[in-house]
Amino acid sequence: MAILWRRRNGEDAGGNTDGNTSGNNRSGGGHGWRAATVSLLTVAFLAACGGGDGGSGTNADNAQPVPGGRLKIAFWADFQGCIDPNQVYWIESRSIDRNFADSLTDQDPATGEIVPWLATSWTVSPDAREYTFTLRKGVTFSDGTPLDASAVKTAFDGVRDLGAKSTLGVTYLAGYESSTVVDPQTVKVNFKVPNAAFLQATSTTTLAVLSPATYKETAEARCAGKVIGSGQFVLDSYTAAKAARLSRRAGYAWPSALVKNKGDAYLDGIDVSYITEDSVRVGSLTTGTIDVAWPRLPITSADQEIIKAANGVIETRSLPGISAQIVPNVNRGGPLADLKVRQALYKAIDLKSYASTVYWDSYPVVKGPYDSTTPYAADLSAKLAHDPAGAAALLDSAGWAKGPDGYRYKDGRKLTLTYLITASTPGEQLLQDQLKKSGIDLQLKVVTSAQLTQLTTAGEFDLAGSYLTRGDPSVLGSTLDRAVTKNYATVYSQDDATAAEVSKLFARGLNTIDPAQRAAAYKDLQDYLIDHGVVFPTYDRVQVAGLSNKVHGFAWTSESFLRANDIWLSK
Amino acid sequence: MSENILVKGPGQAAVGAPSAPVPASAVLPVPAADDASASAGSRPDAGSGPDAGNGPGWTDTGDGRPGERHPAGGRLRRPAAAAYEVARPFLRRPGFVLAAAFIVFVVVSGLFPGLFTSYDPTATAPAEKLRGPGLEHLFGTDELGRDLFSRVLHGSALTIRATGGAVLIAVVAGLAIGVIAGFLGGWIDSLLMRTVDVALALPLLLLALAIVTALGFGTLPVAIAVSVGIVPGFARTTRAEVFRVKGQAYVEAARTGGASWLRVMWRHVLPNSWGPVMVLAILDFGTAVLSISSLSFLGFGAPPPAAEWGTLISSGRNYLVTSPWLSLLPGLFVGLVVFGLNHVARTLEEVRP
Repeated sequence: MAILWRRRNGEDAGGNTDGNTSGNNRSGGGHGWRAATVSLLTVAFLAACGGGDGGSGTNADNAQPVPGGRLKIAFWADFQGCIDPNQVYWIESRSIDRNFADSLTDQDPATGEIVPWLATSWTVSPDAREYTFTLRKGVTFSDGTPLDASAVKTAFDGVRDLGAKSTLGVTYLAGYESSTVVDPQTVKVNFKVPNAAFLQATSTTTLAVLSPATYKETAEARCAGKVIGSGQFVLDSYTAAKAARLSRRAGYAWPSALVKNKGDAYLDGIDVSYITEDSVRVGSLTTGTIDVAWPRLPITSADQEIIKAANGVIETRSLPGISAQIVPNVNRGGPLADLKVRQALYKAIDLKSYASTVYWDSYPVVKGPYDSTTPYAADLSAKLAHDPAGAAALLDSAGWAKGPDGYRYKDGRKLTLTYLITASTPGEQLLQDQLKKSGIDLQLKVVTSAQLTQLTTAGEFDLAGSYLTRGDPSVLGSTLDRAVTKNYATVYSQDDATAAEVSKLFARGLNTIDPAQRAAAYKDLQDYLIDHGVVFPTYDRVQVAGLSNKVHGFAWTSESFLRANDIWLSK
Repeated sequence: MSENILVKGPGQAAVGAPSAPVPASAVLPVPAADDASASAGSRPDAGSGPDAGNGPGWTDTGDGRPGERHPAGGRLRRPAAAAYEVARPFLRRPGFVLAAAFIVFVVVSGLFPGLFTSYDPTATAPAEKLRGPGLEHLFGTDELGRDLFSRVLHGSALTIRATGGAVLIAVVAGLAIGVIAGFLGGWIDSLLMRTVDVALALPLLLLALAIVTALGFGTLPVAIAVSVGIVPGFARTTRAEVFRVKGQAYVEAARTGGASWLRVMWRHVLPNSWGPVMVLAILDFGTAVLSISSLSFLGFGAPPPAAEWGTLISSGRNYLVTSPWLSLLPGLFVGLVVFGLNHVARTLEEVRP
């Protein structure tokens, strides 16, 4: 039945609908993204980063890796049905892509630092408009073509030519002008406007460099699997929403600086399948049918116990980028137009209880507009603290008085907020009950994804969900900066004055060369967003993977995708 | 309509079940039911719907087919003795008593859940989440600490409303289509019946899914969607009956007597045609409960936090191994309701002499 709820214009749109979905619909489709990420460069060192490496410990082994075996991994779904790294936003597909497509740089999950991969070194012009990469020698694509400067140029031009088909590429390459081949090992990328986030962008799967032959295929053919990378694995086959098969590439010798295994993969290959039902996926893991269970929403604590009881291992890492959050509609003339009501909302929501009830006791409580693994994420817990008395005082002063039924009324109108969701999950119902205690009537309106697009575009909502994954704070601009996008989150979450200020803060964050200054700019931005009630974070998006005890050498990428280079299977 | 077969009694085929439409020619030569008043005495009235207090409704025509209600029929009997005579065959069946009692409990608890539980079905209690069934929480608590028994009972109201609505819409629409087709005949009949044929060709659930996707989510759209799926059965049955009744001598007599077609239809044809439709209605309650639960299982039900039975079963799926009661108890409840309805309908059919 999932077909009825397919959501096509989003990134890692959250949710299936047969009940186990996050109702957080991503915002920001492909429209209206504009050159935006104006800024100076900031290489390497990203100060405030990497807090949330909550890994519960991989199969800690000093044992000698044994080559051989195929890793069987099951994701929950494949709604976008595309495998092309340059085009896909679906995070599960990006996990597959990471293992057959290499990028110019890599990002250290622990520090956020950009480290060499296909490019051994790089320089960035002071105005962040010229990036010069020196490429590693001897790298070839799996079709034998050498990976040189002209291949990189073909790739970046190819992503630009995809236009809106590459939902993420549009922002990653914002302001892209051209690439120049200086010599076979040197390529210069030029921007019309400064794009300081570009260096991080070169570490993503979205800007992975594919063989020139790939760019001769149509965008649809690439989506369907006609993609050739230079990775440690080769994509043998891909059937949308059914399966993908990767096999080891002989002679691989150019892993990122973060990888221990400098040569061929230990695994013979990777078999990807999709299992929608959580209990079936966990059952498949515990019975040994699959080696890795990789759902979208965190594996429940009960299921984690089952996996551990079967000697499995749980790996967790917060997905960098925008935390799961709700954006208000302040331009509808509804109750949320009043800042006091929005501030009361923060105090009425108990995020701690949300994390421990919907997920588990030690689940990280969201601390601000960014997930904890995002560089420059600030800790705004104090502003998001649960304070029912404070909420009551704010609502009283805003003129919403408590009625006999426990809900608040003003001029005979009930304090009702409509929250658009595509599937009902425990999280929203808990939120509903939490707000009820403060006299706020949260109406959960379940709609189809088609209706969702229509209703959000028309602004017929009070609250709607949003999130996006990227290891750079500029990602929030993709949903909240009017200079970048015209999607519903931007249009309705801020009045004109607030929007102008928000745009200014985003620009400031991207115009700062010094990491400390950049951190300060993003801190100001996050404070501003919460102080003015622009976003309501609900939970930190943690990626959880269940591993069988055969799996060793598991590693996360900085964007919490799967990196299989070091994985080996014990017999 | 494989879904229908599950809950249909053996007698259905004879009254024109959708899977075996009875050609008009086979229906017409029915034994004359002029001896209606003679056999009426042995026939139980209970459960036969609008006819119950009103004299003879059914007669045995000897071939298992419910017969005519004599237009001028009437009956005199002492009420207590009559009630006993009617109830006796039912009371002698403990299975029926149990099933009926359970259905009554479900309906009453659905309408007045406060009589049976004091818990608020939407009040979350994170500290008490996923408690097993026990004295405090009869069905345990769900993933947000809400009392599951209370949620099931409050869900009954929604499901009963949706089921009742679906069957009501289906009966009214089916009766209308059937009477118009059967009475007018000709090209109108052909047009309506071919449309019904098309509708019959589509699986009930698929049709309902398509409709509910178009209409949106909620109890009323679900009721409409399910009713559209079961209308064809009613239309077919009614048409076959109307065809049969239309040829009867008393209808002709009424016409000869100067009654208008409308009056003949209203006074003679309709009352004598809807008996089998009522039987079908009871049988289709089970189908409707299943379909409505399926739709709410798939997420088309009432908006949260209200939860229909299917929604409850669905939201417990993720805890099937660790907290199985979340899905199993509501599932068992739905199962019992459908079995109960089935058993009641079957018994009503069997007991009728």
